[in-house]
Amino acid sequence: MKPIRSLLLVSALFALPAVASAAAAKKAAAEAIPKLPPMSEAQALAVLNSDAGVQEKARACQELGNYAGPKSVSALAALLDHEHLGDYARSGLEGIKDDSAGKALRDALPRLQGRQLAGAINSIGVRRDSAAVAELQKLALDTKRGAAAEAVASLGLIGNADAAKALQQVLASGPADVRTPAAHAALVAAEHLAKAGNAAAARKLLDAVTKALPSSFVAETARKQAAALKGR
Amino acid sequence: MKLTRRSFLKTSAVALGVPTIIPASALGRDGAVAPSNRIVVGGIGLGPRGREVLKSFLNQKDVQFVMIADVQKARREVVRVMANRQYNNQDCQETGEMFDVLGRKDVDAVLIATGDRWHAVASILAAKAGKDIYCEKPCSMTVRESQELADAINRYGRVFQAGTQRRNVDNFQFAARLARTGKLGRIQTVHAGILTLQESHKWLPAEPEPAKDVVDWDRWLGPAPWRPFNKEYINGRWRNYYDFHGGAALPEWGAHTVDLCQWGASADDTVPVEYEAEGQTIHARYANGVKMVMRLSGFKGEGDWVVPGTCPVRFEGDEGWVEAADTGKVAVANPKLLEGGAPAEMAGTDPAKHVREFLDCVKSRAKPAANADVTRRGHIVSHVAAIGWRLGRKVRFDAVKEVFLDDAEANRMCTRARRAPWHA
Repeated sequence: MKPIRSLLLVSALFALPAVASAAAAKKAAAEAIPKLPPMSEAQALAVLNSDAGVQEKARACQELGNYAGPKSVSALAALLDHEHLGDYARSGLEGIKDDSAGKALRDALPRLQGRQLAGAINSIGVRRDSAAVAELQKLALDTKRGAAAEAVASLGLIGNADAAKALQQVLASGPADVRTPAAHAALVAAEHLAKAGNAAAARKLLDAVTKALPSSFVAETARKQAAALKGR
Repeated sequence: MKLTRRSFLKTSAVALGVPTIIPASALGRDGAVAPSNRIVVGGIGLGPRGREVLKSFLNQKDVQFVMIADVQKARREVVRVMANRQYNNQDCQETGEMFDVLGRKDVDAVLIATGDRWHAVASILAAKAGKDIYCEKPCSMTVRESQELADAINRYGRVFQAGTQRRNVDNFQFAARLARTGKLGRIQTVHAGILTLQESHKWLPAEPEPAKDVVDWDRWLGPAPWRPFNKEYINGRWRNYYDFHGGAALPEWGAHTVDLCQWGASADDTVPVEYEAEGQTIHARYANGVKMVMRLSGFKGEGDWVVPGTCPVRFEGDEGWVEAADTGKVAVANPKLLEGGAPAEMAGTDPAKHVREFLDCVKSRAKPAANADVTRRGHIVSHVAAIGWRLGRKVRFDAVKEVFLDDAEANRMCTRARRAPWHA
């Protein structure tokens, strides 16, 4: 770059008023895809309870995820086993803080299978639903239902003392192929425990990881994490 | 047994019973790097931009690119041919399954350039597998993903470089240095160029799904919600759809420009605490009073930027200003600011120096310029600004707890459910 030349150019340009910019911005804004007006909760529920297509119902579920309350729970829960709408229904339920949404997800666990089961378990983890620990522990040890990896991951996200105990059990005596995901989940749980002031439980959990998979990368990580907790 | 170059050389020499001539380059002579000192790299989802970045990897003598995973057969074949041509051999492998790359013990690092919907999840999976990561931007779809990604990188002690290469482009570095060293006086306002904010919830018409080996549509969608296949999406036209493009398109350039503003404002360890949209302009304010303005720029020179070019930024202090954009040029308020020489002109899209810095950090274990913590906050600013725009009201954000203040609706927009079975 030639400084003098560019500076002259810059000076000239900088003196211009901002009128041109406003026009350009206005033009670009006009070309933008307009924002969809948000539906009300009643409107979104009406879509879910109608014979609208998958796309419309998917959109309604996402909208409900932004603002819905307990009265939307049953309509969303009814879609949890839908092949394509199940995940959209979860986006609705994950957003509803009321425990009725957590209960709907927990209640759905016995009837769901495959991806829909995995999805509900994931949402329980995202919601950090401590009431689900016992059920997740069962799923983590159940080799037939095929959702053990998701169950341990959600235990890690919940990350309270009960979840830590459940993970310790999986690490000590759970199915061999669940121990690695359980170890990764334990690292997450240990962070939650430490943050909550329970460093002792965190260290115990990390110790379980190093015992279960002593020569692994995840055990090496657990050792470092435990070392960082020393003195806490 | 997995066949490696080393085991192949060993076993073939014995089996043939004849002297094996090993090229000097393989031993590290002739200016080449010995295999034991090479960084073995795999690729995941390398389309046009990913291949541009890959060129910078292939140009490094201490890199050996060994495998490409892509859900599109045509794309993985292009990458395999690229690598084999570079090395003049047929060693690069291709697969439709990213776990084939992540499961290889000889792979040290991965280049991820899938599409925004996959970036965080794939990076977290790579971190769990013990790989270092260069990931294209935007690296997250939501505030929560920005947090999860950084937490995972730190948890596993991985080297992470976001593909926000302007942190390693001369004119942007020059501009940030002026701002950070007080040459502009006290910083008052930083400006980030952004693209038009928009998000579509439309679905394109359903088309027949290709064979899984040709395009694995289910895996292409990954953590994004299901919708029927349409070839437009896989041909790169997935942008501006809410389900595939996070933050109403703000992070598309904001990942670069907002990030640079964070840097220029010496604010890599925090984020603005207030955001208010005015049409397509978003005004934000840090706790210390410094303002950030996210305003339109574009491929056609939109906006009143002084320096032409995409991804412009401008830093204003009480004693002067500087502006930079992708043309490699800078403009300054006062010629004295250029004393010592103007920066070399380098295209803002050129990832060469950024890739080199990443590789050096893989060796030294230092944090690169666009590390996970810097990326976390830069991306959060973009997502938070977009949420404020979507809600159409002023929002306040706790820079420490990383949550909106007194705004449940905004907080619910910080996350999205991932399609099962994918989770972080």
